[in-house]
Amino acid sequence: MSKLSFRARALDAAKPLPIYRGKDMPDLNDCVSINRAVPQMPTGMEKEEESEHHLQRAISAQQVFREKKESMVIPVPEAESNVNYYNRLYKGEFKQPKQFIHIQPFNLDNEQPDYDMDSEDETLLNRLNRKMEIKPLQFEIMIDRLEKASSNQLVTLQEAKLLLNEDDYLIKAVYDYWVRKRKNCRGPSLIPQIKQEKRDGSTNNDPYVAFRRRTEKMQTRKNRKNDEASYEKMLKLRREFSRAITILEMIKRREKTKRELLHLTLEVVEKRYHLGDYGGEILNEVKINRSEKDLYATPATLHNGNHHKVQECKTKHPHHLSLKEEASDVVRQKKKYPKKPKAEALITSQQPTPETLPVINKSDIKQYDFHSSDEDEFPQVPSPVSEPEEENDPDGPCAFRRRAGCQYYAPRLDQANHSCENAELAELDKLRYRHCLTTLTVPRRCIGFARRRIGRGGRVIMDRISTEHDPVLEQIDPEMLNSFSSSSQTIDFSSNFSRTNASSKHCENRLSLSEILSNIRSCRLQCFQPRLLNLQDSDSEECTSRKPGQTVNNKRVSAASVALLNTSKNGISVTGGITEEQFQTHQQQLVQMQRQQLAQLQQKQQSQHSSQQTHPKAQGSSTSDCMSKTLDSASAHFAASAVVSAPVPSRSEVAKEQNTGHNNINGVVQPSGTSKTLYSTNMALSSSPGISAVQLVRTVGHTTTNHLIPALCTSSPQTLPMNNSCLTNAVHLNNVSVVSPVNVHINTRTSAPSPTALKLATVAASMDRVPKVTPSSAISSIARENHEPERLGLNGIAETTVAMEVT
Amino acid sequence: MGEGEIIEGCRLPVLRRNQDNEDEWPLAEILSVKDISGRKLFYVHYIDFNKRLDEWVTHERLDLKKIQFPKKEAKTPTKNGLPGSRPGSPEREVPASAQASGKTLPIPVQITLRFNLPKEREAIPGGEPDQPLSSSSCLQPNHRSTKRKVEVVSPATPVPSETAPASVFPQNGSARRAVAAQPGRKRKSNCLGTDEDSQDSSDGIPSAPRMTGSLVSDRSHDDIVTRMKNIECIELGRHRLKPWYFSPYPQELTTLPVLYLCEFCLKYGRSLKCLQRHLTKCDLRHPPGNEIYRKGTISFFEIDGRKNKSYSQNLCLLAKCFLDHKTLYYDTDPFLFYVMTEYDCKGFHIVGYFSKEKESTEDYNVACILTLPPYQRRGYGKLLIEFSYELSKVEGKTGTPEKPLSDLGLLSYRSYWSQTILEILMGLKSESGERPQITINEISEITSIKKEDVISTLQYLNLINYYKGQYILTLSEDIVDGHERAMLKRLLRIDSKCLHFTPKDWSKRGKW
Repeated sequence: MSKLSFRARALDAAKPLPIYRGKDMPDLNDCVSINRAVPQMPTGMEKEEESEHHLQRAISAQQVFREKKESMVIPVPEAESNVNYYNRLYKGEFKQPKQFIHIQPFNLDNEQPDYDMDSEDETLLNRLNRKMEIKPLQFEIMIDRLEKASSNQLVTLQEAKLLLNEDDYLIKAVYDYWVRKRKNCRGPSLIPQIKQEKRDGSTNNDPYVAFRRRTEKMQTRKNRKNDEASYEKMLKLRREFSRAITILEMIKRREKTKRELLHLTLEVVEKRYHLGDYGGEILNEVKINRSEKDLYATPATLHNGNHHKVQECKTKHPHHLSLKEEASDVVRQKKKYPKKPKAEALITSQQPTPETLPVINKSDIKQYDFHSSDEDEFPQVPSPVSEPEEENDPDGPCAFRRRAGCQYYAPRLDQANHSCENAELAELDKLRYRHCLTTLTVPRRCIGFARRRIGRGGRVIMDRISTEHDPVLEQIDPEMLNSFSSSSQTIDFSSNFSRTNASSKHCENRLSLSEILSNIRSCRLQCFQPRLLNLQDSDSEECTSRKPGQTVNNKRVSAASVALLNTSKNGISVTGGITEEQFQTHQQQLVQMQRQQLAQLQQKQQSQHSSQQTHPKAQGSSTSDCMSKTLDSASAHFAASAVVSAPVPSRSEVAKEQNTGHNNINGVVQPSGTSKTLYSTNMALSSSPGISAVQLVRTVGHTTTNHLIPALCTSSPQTLPMNNSCLTNAVHLNNVSVVSPVNVHINTRTSAPSPTALKLATVAASMDRVPKVTPSSAISSIARENHEPERLGLNGIAETTVAMEVT
Repeated sequence: MGEGEIIEGCRLPVLRRNQDNEDEWPLAEILSVKDISGRKLFYVHYIDFNKRLDEWVTHERLDLKKIQFPKKEAKTPTKNGLPGSRPGSPEREVPASAQASGKTLPIPVQITLRFNLPKEREAIPGGEPDQPLSSSSCLQPNHRSTKRKVEVVSPATPVPSETAPASVFPQNGSARRAVAAQPGRKRKSNCLGTDEDSQDSSDGIPSAPRMTGSLVSDRSHDDIVTRMKNIECIELGRHRLKPWYFSPYPQELTTLPVLYLCEFCLKYGRSLKCLQRHLTKCDLRHPPGNEIYRKGTISFFEIDGRKNKSYSQNLCLLAKCFLDHKTLYYDTDPFLFYVMTEYDCKGFHIVGYFSKEKESTEDYNVACILTLPPYQRRGYGKLLIEFSYELSKVEGKTGTPEKPLSDLGLLSYRSYWSQTILEILMGLKSESGERPQITINEISEITSIKKEDVISTLQYLNLINYYKGQYILTLSEDIVDGHERAMLKRLLRIDSKCLHFTPKDWSKRGKW
């Protein structure tokens, strides 16, 4: 019997099954048992019901007879279909339309009352109809309204009168009837309704509650995914929109402020003119008075918060200012205080064009200070801001955000504070941060005197100081120093460069190369050479090489630089510890910039020239503007390296310039004191149609002029690599080094918010992720950008001119 | 022994007339007792019969001699909230005042009972008018609900003095226990995890049913209320229907002898007068949806459960009267309702319907399906099923009805599957003398019947055999004959050319 000793394979749904019919059916007697190989499929019924008597009977009947027998069907309760009043009930006929019936979704909502009158109501209606006419529908509407207006509590008669637009008597009659009927009613309403769920969950098991809301939305997995993705997209969109709004609001504010500043400046000029204060004596007097009070002298310290007020009460102007700023400018004092004595000293000492140069300088300072904390995205100083406006600004002083990939060290107060609040502290600081002879590993050269400090984020920053020895030091072969570099002894050399007598000392303390060398040899002069891959350096290098733009952003030197600016005349700051590749990158960029610059130059020459001719003062201002800008260590570092290595013919020119001691080239910050010389230099330069280097200098000056107004927005100490790196077009540098969008934006702004600027901002933003810019893109963006600054440049110059004359 | 001792949970033979008009005494269980004007009525469930045959009987039909009283131990699981198949708790002691009236009431009473109820009332000696009936039964709902609550914490039932039952009728006790110990009801084994079952039995408070899936009910929430029919009679158009199961119509309507429904919008009213009034305001003459199929007098309308809530709800309430496993716990939003109608000069009369999830995660192409009783056993059910598979064909999917199937559902589906598959198998022609062959997947693709259902049908028909190392399909003579005879009777068919249906991608709509 058991032919099937083997186990049958599982049934394969994809395998063809041959069909045998009738006569050619094989003898399957032996094979019946094989069905066990096919697992018995469940019937899909509940077990208990499956075993029900009638079903089993029906199933077996079907199995046996292959068709249903009348007696074997499952019995069900009967139904009748003989409602004899049907035709009276459903009146009229309905003709089947030819077309398929298509229903409009909102056709269903007719305004018919849900309440249906019953025979009891009919009795009442008949009674009422003896006195007045009331139609069934009218009655139903009344009851319907009453029902729907009342929940657990019945509406009052008063309410009913409001609800029902009927005769008072009728209302009363119907209302009374309704109240009575409602009381006798077993259900919660005269309109029978499905029981609703209650929120408290008490009805969860009530069998009469039906059609509960589905609290959770039913979703398939696929759906959920889609929803999530689109939700995130919407969020992103929203974020970006709000960001755009923020930017636009900031622009608006800035432009307003700028206008106010201009008005104020104008006012001051007028006042001075009326007073005949051509020499600035009265102004100084006022300043001194004020500084006695609050260490604040110049109107240059104006800033946003005050402008409205100031404008409103013009007459009280100076006094008002001082009062206003007492509280708010603790921070700014740091920056400005050291400048003042110098500026004043210069005013008094150098008088050839008394009202212009010093004043220009101050006005510039003012302009740069002006926006420092307001507009800068990453303010350096822990500023105790008191201006409500700034506090409300979401992107204001506390908007510094950590960058991915950067390692931040805790700020070191002793170093951050060296923008001291008074002269004594400054002196102390100076002792602490001595300058010493420094060489770099890459490029291998001596950079003269510099001091090292740890900047924000633990970067090592070299503050260069410019001395007369620079030409000599330039010639020092680092190899020569190698032998001395191990010397640990330190000689305080920086005392030579004390601020007060700096200018004079420069002339006197000229050391020859041999002297220096001998000094070094005899360990009287300390020489610093960075070790390769020392921890902090490598840290900072890592960051910088990864994101050049970031360096610029994060390495704001602000206060420190201000101090430097003030203390060091002709200060050159150089950053040490550049890695090879970083350097290469910079070089590439610089070469590219130069090319660009030259191209621009051709373009600009014409207008530039004329503007220089007609506005010599403007030219002066532009250069001094350049000078007054603080040295950003990072950009200075670019610039310096560029100077060193730029393989351009201009190099000799640059060198020559340096040799002559004018020092107005790359990475050079002109102290206010030398602005006069600078001015003359510039004049000279402009008069002699020059070779690239000279032109470059001038162009930079020009660019800066163009950006004079924009520069208002960016505080001097805190950014603007462009201002310092003279070899680079400002805009270009911004693009390349990728300042944050807002910054670029601000920098490129002239007087009005322009679409170009916005575009550039986005360009910059996109570049933020791509540190290296392809030349073409950079050029194109610059080309676009340059157009406008140029056009607006003249305006800018004009504005500056006014400002210069005033302060 | 008097009828006063008959309590819920008792089992005893009850007289019932079968289809062949013969008297039988099947074992039944007393589910409820009510007192109408001093006359006791007992709600009995015939063991091993479907619930739809449960009914109110007078004590004359009870064989009190063979009564078994509920056992204490059998009841404990019920107390724990386990979904016992029966209440078994006799809190509601039969009032002592209940006098045993004449035991020998003649059979004819039950015959009237089984027919038109209103008429019966009139026929009952000392016939109570409707009013007393409703007034007495108006207490009923309250009573039921309180009772249900009590049931969970019910104290031990006072066991009648007879201790014999357990030993005398061991089979009953064990049967009952088996029922009680089966809380999971093993419904929808393909979609329900065990977790739901455990939830249900954890603290006696059943959790809400899952929200996905169909309106098929989770019977674990059965209690005495939902186990009993609550509507006596429904008038729908020309028809008077006797509901088979509980339906959550507003509770105040459950006491009415007849519930009047508008034939077209299915709105329920308490009286004929109400219906009359309603019909003056309701001008629908067809289900409020789009007609997507029409051939002859047969039409199908598609109704969106979200867009047309009131109709969908009314339809569900009506359908629940005839579908045991349907639940109306949640709203109808995720469903489409396909209503089959037959046209005559009065309009498009509802014959049956099926509901379908807009998006089914489990290949269901039908959630609930019903042919209204007056139209049953006339081929409409198969037509509904055929239509549901036509829709699946348009959608390009295979589908299966949601489980559990009812007895009638199983028979209908099996019949449809058998005929459809046999039609294909017999239509296969042998090519070039070779034996025709087909894969199960092919059958599934052609018919849109899910693979598992194809296999189970082949198996049920005993067509699959193993021969010479492979599976073969054998069509025996009597299978072929039986099929041909059945197809001769099957006159109503769906004509796919008359279907105007574009499936919507509900997943893209966000809402159903």
